[in-house]
Amino acid sequence: MNKDLSKVRNIGISAHIDSGKTTLTERILFYTNRIHAIHEVRGKDGVGAKMDSMELEKERGITIQSAATYCSWKDIDINIIDTPGHVDFTVEVERALRVLDGAILVLCSVGGVQSQSITVNRQMTRYKVPRIAFINKCDRTGANPERVTRQLREKLDLNAHMMQMPIGLEGDLAGMVDLVTMQAIYFDGDNGEKLRYEAIPAGMAEEAEERRQALLEEISMFSEELMEAVLEGGDIDAALIYDAVRKGTVSLDFTPVFVGSAYKNKGIQLLLDAVEAYLPSPTDVENFALDLKNNEAEFKVSNNPADPLIMLAFKLEDGRYGQLTYVRTYQGQIRKGDTIYNSRTGKKVKVGRLVRMHSDEMEEIEECGSGDIVALFGIDCASGDTFTSENISCSMSSMHIPEPVISLAVIPVDNKAQINMSKALNRFTKEDPTFKTFVDHETGETIISGMGELHLEVYIERMKREYKAEVQVGAPQVAYRETITNRAEFNYTHKKQTGGSGQFGRVAGYMEPLEEGDYEFVDSIVGGVIPREYIPSCDKGFQKSLEKGALCGATITGVRCVINDGAFHAVDSSDIAFQLAAIGAFKEGYMKAKPVIMEPIMKVAVEGPSEFQGSVMGSINQRRGMIIGTMEEGNYTVVEAEVPLSEMFGYSTTLRSLTQGKAEFTMEFATFKPVPKGVSEELIKKYQEEKKNS
Amino acid sequence: MVENTVVVNNPIRALGLDKKAGQGLQSMGVVIARAGLGKTAILVQFALDCMLLGNKVLHVSIGQSVDKTRKWYDDILAMLTDGEKLETIPEILRNRMIMTFKESAFTKAKLEERLDDLVKQDIYKPECLIIDGYDFEHNDYTSMEELRGFMSEHGLKMIWFSAVTHREDKRVSANGVPAPCHEVDDLFDIVLFIKPEGEQMKLDILKCDDCAVHPGTSLSLDPATMLIQKG
Repeated sequence: MNKDLSKVRNIGISAHIDSGKTTLTERILFYTNRIHAIHEVRGKDGVGAKMDSMELEKERGITIQSAATYCSWKDIDINIIDTPGHVDFTVEVERALRVLDGAILVLCSVGGVQSQSITVNRQMTRYKVPRIAFINKCDRTGANPERVTRQLREKLDLNAHMMQMPIGLEGDLAGMVDLVTMQAIYFDGDNGEKLRYEAIPAGMAEEAEERRQALLEEISMFSEELMEAVLEGGDIDAALIYDAVRKGTVSLDFTPVFVGSAYKNKGIQLLLDAVEAYLPSPTDVENFALDLKNNEAEFKVSNNPADPLIMLAFKLEDGRYGQLTYVRTYQGQIRKGDTIYNSRTGKKVKVGRLVRMHSDEMEEIEECGSGDIVALFGIDCASGDTFTSENISCSMSSMHIPEPVISLAVIPVDNKAQINMSKALNRFTKEDPTFKTFVDHETGETIISGMGELHLEVYIERMKREYKAEVQVGAPQVAYRETITNRAEFNYTHKKQTGGSGQFGRVAGYMEPLEEGDYEFVDSIVGGVIPREYIPSCDKGFQKSLEKGALCGATITGVRCVINDGAFHAVDSSDIAFQLAAIGAFKEGYMKAKPVIMEPIMKVAVEGPSEFQGSVMGSINQRRGMIIGTMEEGNYTVVEAEVPLSEMFGYSTTLRSLTQGKAEFTMEFATFKPVPKGVSEELIKKYQEEKKNS
Repeated sequence: MVENTVVVNNPIRALGLDKKAGQGLQSMGVVIARAGLGKTAILVQFALDCMLLGNKVLHVSIGQSVDKTRKWYDDILAMLTDGEKLETIPEILRNRMIMTFKESAFTKAKLEERLDDLVKQDIYKPECLIIDGYDFEHNDYTSMEELRGFMSEHGLKMIWFSAVTHREDKRVSANGVPAPCHEVDDLFDIVLFIKPEGEQMKLDILKCDDCAVHPGTSLSLDPATMLIQKG
């Protein structure tokens, strides 16, 4: 591993599903000599691509879990995180982006900027990740990198410009013209490993010159030296161009676009050169941590290996040898045997094995420095924890984690399956913060919740395959919420005398809607009317009440509970008595506070031929959807809408039949909104019936 | 919730177009300015006022994305209120739909086709139409006439356009309407012109048939926000 941080690149590869990210990564590993044979994602040899290490990924041909790998290109060390394409696995993409310094945005030359490319781009913008674009599949029928570049500008609002011109397209793709060096480059050898440089084909020279001029004009605004050189005319040093493009890319003002075909082994080495030339090193980007001793004031991390350690655990995996924790160091160094601190728990941990990951294989290393991405063995922590040296107390800023929107019941078939399921769920919830599980106390069922049907489906499959946990699965349920809309008072006395010691506690105060956050407890008790030791009991009682709302049994959120009066009994008051008093008080106040049921609303994008736009909009309208807008793209139209998740089950089948299979849709969680009156009444009725029958 | 009174500048009401619409009269208007002087901001203020009056607005954006157009509404609304976002006011948000077209792809026929998809299924029936980015240079009098006809056929209360004028283009109509609208000015009921005057920005009312404001009146715009100023 390189000690010179300017020669390190931490990059991610993100794109819409099926744009060829994994194939691209496979080629990168091949050309950087990390693997010695190429296996295709859905290859006939049955081996599968290197980065799709999970059995399920190989079967489905999509990447579910991101895997980290490391390779060297020329004198640069590259850490790569291959990220999933499906929107249900967005948290994986977000976590990867959080720790990366740059990214390759892969696009299909036929599909262009698709809905998931927009999501991924938005995430990259949120985490200020400089990006280069790679237009893949230029060998495919209908390839049009020009159109895709235009879409990058128009749809993603990126200042995108092609750095190359493809020589031929579709079946005729032969190589590309580099607009910086003004050479034609061809890829010879069985796997395109031999680069042949030639003069630009005569028929392309004029256009190449025009495009270079346009590119120079665009990028000269990032470098005064280049601007002067352009104005003076004559030969322009390539180094000046590299420097200007790099500046523009790092400042997020420019997106260089490269073309090629990973499958046909064309253009990948040039993309690696671009990673080196244009994407930032750890020292080029600013990262911030929160000083826990100074009211969480933000400070810039130094990247200096000599400074105290700051390291973020961004991904956990429970493997054969215990928990594997992927970490990114932001400053300082760690060595095997070092003692580090988890700033969340305050616990000391000893670094046992330190490994560099290469998909599911690993290599032992002795130390790692600032800017590096490695994995630690046997450290107990949660995803998002920060590790530091003893002498500092800080945390990397928290990661944006979306709330789960869908849930279903899983019932193990026997005792063995029950044990295995517990192990599996324990691991999954630690690995993935968007995957949650709990036991419904009324039905005794284990409920799992996540970001979409596919998300949960994959975990159920993993339970079966990796943990041999045979489970029966209930129908997917929408994760409704309940919240209050008004302020309401409560004053409840819990009193019980059934022989032996009695129970007594009175809790009074009010509840009111909380605009930000799920729950807040405010203790305004004066004069000791409720003794100090029973205040946490009241809090606990309220929190228990939030688990299940009275309307439809959904979790209650957005509530502030304030206690300002109460009473106790010297003998009969206890922790449990005050918990029960708080539960009673909550019950008393809740219905007066005009509760409502909230449902998850999804942002849906349906893309298909314009001729079907009417049917698509009709189908959205029937699903209580609100159409936000339509975007006409040649013969295609994208309809953007907000639709309640409960109405989206089975939509893929409907859409297929409405559009002869020519349209596709993606959705992601947007917000929670109150359900309409009719739906609310239905949900309440259903819940009452369930309660009656249970 | 945004109250109508919170919005200090209600341009539709200021020009008396709500009353005009109440009498069954339709209006076709255009906001003319050089590039970058805030035409979209003015159109969005008209659209928001329409929406606040309970009308359904169809915002056709030519050459811009849905997201960018949405952002205009959020930005203008945030400036008019205390940082409100349209997404948080569903009762008003329901009154807006955005359609985007490529510059080359927009025609009256295409718009009609798209609108029919909505109206026939009773999904959305607009009462006000905003067309931002219409190419006046490459469309002739007949095309504009067709759009005026479109307004009647679909029972729209009003259509608002934006038009880009160029400093070097000195052509004007007899009524003082600058290019590129100089040859179609008779088709418009209202013509507004954004004009920088030193540090000030003015919104000149060049034409306003059956309006509450006389032609020749000049309104002030806040140069920082492009909001029409009160008074």
